[in-house]
Amino acid sequence: MKKTVLMLAMLLCSMVFSASVLAENDGVAATSSGKTVKMAGGTPGGADWRYPSPFMFYPRGPGYCRMSLLFDTLTWKDANGVIPALADGWEVSDDGKEWTFYLDRNARWHDNELFTADDVEFTIEYMQDHEGEFTWFETIGYIDDVEVIDDYTVVIDLSEPMASFLVDLAGNVPMLPEHIWNDVSDPLTFKDDDAVIGTGPLKLVEYDSATSSYQYEANYDYYDGKLLVDEFISMDVSNTAAALQTGTVDEVSFWGSEIDAVQNFENDPDFEIITGPSFWVLQVIFNCEKYPNDILDFRQAIAYGIDRDEIVSQVLGGGGMPANTGIMHPDSIWYNPDCTVYEYNTDMANDTLDSLGFTEKDSDGIRQYPIGAKRSGKVEFDLYTLKKFENEAELIQRNLEIIGIRINVRTSDWGTIDDYLKDGNFDTVISGHGGIANPQIMRVPSWPASTYHNDDYDSTFVAQEVEMDLDTRKELVNQLQEMVADDLPVYTLYHPYMWCVYNPEVLDTWFYTRDGIGIGIPLELNKLVFLARYGDANENGKINMQDVTQIERMILELDDETEMADANQNGRINMQDVTQIELTILGRAPIRIG
Amino acid sequence: MHQINKLAYYLVILFIILSINFSLPRVMPGDPLSYLTDPGADIPPARMTEEKMERLLAYYGLDKPLSEQYINYMVGIIRGDLGWSIYYSAPVLEVISGRLKWTLLLVGTSTAIHVTLGILIGATSAWARGRKKDMGLLISILSISSFPSFFLGILLTILFVIKLDIFPLCGAQTAFATYSSPFEEIFDILHHLILPVATLVISHIGGTYLLMRNSMLGVLGEDYIMTARAKGLSERYILHRHALANALLPIVTMTAMTVGFMVTGTIFVETVFAYPGIGNLLYNAVLYRDYPLLQGLFLFISITIVGANFIADMIYIRLDPRVKHE
Amino acid sequence: MIEGRKILGSIGLVILAVFAIVAVLAPHIAPYDPHQMYGRMEHPSSRHLLGTDNIGNDILSELIYGTRVSLFIAFVVSTISMLVGTSLGLIAGYFDKLGFLIMRVVDVFLTIPRLPLIIVIASFIRPSVWNLIAIFLIFGWLMTARIIRSEVLTLRRRYYVDATKMIGGSDLYILWRHILPNVVPLVVVQFIMETIHVILAESGLSFLGLGDPTAMSWGMVLHDAFVCPVIYGSDIWMWWMLPPGLCIVFTVLGLTFVGYALEETLNPKLKSSVIGMEL
Repeated sequence: MKKTVLMLAMLLCSMVFSASVLAENDGVAATSSGKTVKMAGGTPGGADWRYPSPFMFYPRGPGYCRMSLLFDTLTWKDANGVIPALADGWEVSDDGKEWTFYLDRNARWHDNELFTADDVEFTIEYMQDHEGEFTWFETIGYIDDVEVIDDYTVVIDLSEPMASFLVDLAGNVPMLPEHIWNDVSDPLTFKDDDAVIGTGPLKLVEYDSATSSYQYEANYDYYDGKLLVDEFISMDVSNTAAALQTGTVDEVSFWGSEIDAVQNFENDPDFEIITGPSFWVLQVIFNCEKYPNDILDFRQAIAYGIDRDEIVSQVLGGGGMPANTGIMHPDSIWYNPDCTVYEYNTDMANDTLDSLGFTEKDSDGIRQYPIGAKRSGKVEFDLYTLKKFENEAELIQRNLEIIGIRINVRTSDWGTIDDYLKDGNFDTVISGHGGIANPQIMRVPSWPASTYHNDDYDSTFVAQEVEMDLDTRKELVNQLQEMVADDLPVYTLYHPYMWCVYNPEVLDTWFYTRDGIGIGIPLELNKLVFLARYGDANENGKINMQDVTQIERMILELDDETEMADANQNGRINMQDVTQIELTILGRAPIRIG
Repeated sequence: MHQINKLAYYLVILFIILSINFSLPRVMPGDPLSYLTDPGADIPPARMTEEKMERLLAYYGLDKPLSEQYINYMVGIIRGDLGWSIYYSAPVLEVISGRLKWTLLLVGTSTAIHVTLGILIGATSAWARGRKKDMGLLISILSISSFPSFFLGILLTILFVIKLDIFPLCGAQTAFATYSSPFEEIFDILHHLILPVATLVISHIGGTYLLMRNSMLGVLGEDYIMTARAKGLSERYILHRHALANALLPIVTMTAMTVGFMVTGTIFVETVFAYPGIGNLLYNAVLYRDYPLLQGLFLFISITIVGANFIADMIYIRLDPRVKHE
Repeated sequence: MIEGRKILGSIGLVILAVFAIVAVLAPHIAPYDPHQMYGRMEHPSSRHLLGTDNIGNDILSELIYGTRVSLFIAFVVSTISMLVGTSLGLIAGYFDKLGFLIMRVVDVFLTIPRLPLIIVIASFIRPSVWNLIAIFLIFGWLMTARIIRSEVLTLRRRYYVDATKMIGGSDLYILWRHILPNVVPLVVVQFIMETIHVILAESGLSFLGLGDPTAMSWGMVLHDAFVCPVIYGSDIWMWWMLPPGLCIVFTVLGLTFVGYALEETLNPKLKSSVIGMEL
């Protein structure tokens, strides 16, 4: 088996080579001198994503992405899953607690210092020392000890096995240069030019908070691929569609109800569009501690009474899909397709409400609470939501009026709603969150369903956290999803789509990352879009992430995209095999397999 | 003596405003860390535990009793230390000054233009009182002043950017452009400035115009103008030497007052043209409950307004010795 | 001159009358329920004269109902402001000690940065029509109070006040019988100015997204259109953006004309100062 893989790998090396030559000749991968890529990337209110240092970036997806262009992690993700980054290869002990990383020997900091295992050790210890001050790298607490074996080998010991280690920790924590951060006592205020020295493919030239714009230049000495651009600019614009059309920017992204703008670009030959999952869900959050929403049947009746298809077609204009009732996104590997679905059915809802004793006593169409219940009078309660979800809330209000429940829609800003959620001072809330390609998001009570109490759920959640076997962990996550779908602490409404519309003349390597960048960021700003790393294996004239898949399929003679072989022979077929194949075929630094 | 009284009076007002600004955000729901859990278009950024929240609040000094926070805040202002913006993760002074230059450019340019134009047209109108010219000017100015600035800005964008394509869509200058000469840079900035300034001028000119017209009409009715006319001096001479100078007095007061309010009033133009400035900064500071930034902004805005009033008072007394304090 | 004044005033009155009728008869005029959803983003047609918006609401019906919201807020605020401002102005002008106190409060309020404070309050409280009204009321009465007071100060010195006092008229009687009738023209003009101000302020606040999303005012329609990314990319602005904007413009213009004409007629020596000013 080992031999077969190696032979195939050699075969592939030559393929990749020829493909890349072909590509060079087409002039696709060739870097024209002075190529600048501009992206529209401000917030609607014109606020910026802060200084892109590892301790200052705005702790949300866009902020993280702008930081990750400058700083590399041990592993990273492309369109198909985990790939090596600063670590060339790795292995894990059987108990899942000891991870050995073999580091890239060519990696250098932007100031030309060598990147070594000492930097890894320093980073982890530094982050642990400053843990309380920044919210992003919490997982660092799972690390028990770091041991430097030699300059390019480092062993990380965990206190508990951590199933998501390669993604949530190795693929999330940016490596810091020891020679710079050693003297920094308060990283939250460290804002020197040195604070943005990393190993990444781009270097920061300028950041202007007032105009929320960032200017990066290529790091031509990058260890892991050839730069496709010389300059990258992210800027704030007043109207993204008009900015793309007028050539102010070369790439913009749209979301959900902005589908109309995407459709305008569909017939325009100057632009290309890719569609991706947002890994985002909008949901009705029930207060499971407050009458009447503490009654499971009542919540189910509401679920039957909400027409999710109408919300998707009317509010989103078809720019999304009805959500998985078990939270995890259908495009994620964690998706459980067997969760209970509540098809819109007013009869079902009415029957349930009748049997609960919520009956209509006068003729205004609104039911009344049963006699002796905790509330009396008409079945009427508040629904809090943000202004941007007001249309959804109003549709639900109309839906529920039909089954005799009166909802008062109250809009507010997040600061206020957050307070209500924290204090449990609400009936229902409509709110959303992303990151649903990572089961860690389902942790109660930090997940919006803070009033959900189910010991079974809590123990299953803890079990999946430490389960190293992917299939067993998947089974546990499936159970979590089924519990949510059955118990309805939240009722999910829809998953919006995302679109990246770009001018292919400028850069055409845009792609959406498998399960999102880092811990699940659904954006298209993956640093790999600026790099030529692979040959044009599927011969579509473009060198992009799909070529990797194509290479795997060819060497392993597979038909199905999801089918993969056990390349690293660890007895399991998983994402690491893809990495292994790539490492072999791309002839990178020495790889040691235990 | 009078000046000192006035100064003390303004200081008291400043103190009241700052105290309102300190207490208002704190009695309202939400806190400066709620932006960390805001549901947006991507992943929820943090899994905040109670313990973590407390540590962060402590880091920003928000766990202290309100009285202590209030004293720190006042002491900070006196010492010129405005604190650290939680949302922007930068010193408040730095955050404000980064946007201030653009606001000053915008407000300064448009004020200069609308005041000058307003004075000229207003004087012309008053001089031609009752004639067709006056009526024409009056009606046109009243009409264009009825356009809210955001609506006007959008219309100008559609016409000059989308249809004619002669001005840039938004921003204050081409992002990170390299210029071969300073003139090129100035031209670029002006190119971006024209539409926002035009919007502000059109929506503000009405006030100056009407005030100038009225003030001029008042002056023209005064005895000394009658005397000048009786003396047979030329109309043009009277207009320039006597009427104009005296009619300008109320304009001084009004300009000082509007400048103070325009610093934040540009928020509509900033929104339409994605122009960096104080207005949107304030909006975001409110949205993200950034107490230190909000306090810093209010301090700055209040000082501008109070300062402008104070200066106007002083100028008024200098220019017109007839003015006696009531 | 007289002619011009009359013509302007009549034009203004006609404009205002049209909007007032639309507001009162909204349910009878509007072709559809503004919350009813139809096909999204439809272009103008015989079914939907101004097309539909991004969630399929009929834009024309939204505007007709929006007239109600915009005018209602403006009318309530300026009426209350007028009553409060006039009473306080009368008291402040007539009674010296009380007047001093009231005027200090007015001065402080006038120096407070108004727009920032309105933004702060509007984002914190739940957006509803009544809350918006409350916010505008905080600042609405100030100018009226100040102007009425200075007018009362001059009226007080007139001989008939002293004469009435001598024959034993009470303060209240003097205020009611002699002073109030004389300040009515000023009050009316001030009322119109405040209405203009509130219409512009409300539409501005709504445009920033701080209005009441359940009650579609003109500013709210403009806000929805502006945040829609296709607004510049096609002709949609013609029926989604232009009509609500022009509604605001014409209302303000109508009020300005009427205000101007009134001022010239009732109080020629005061000179016109009616003008639209944003927040």
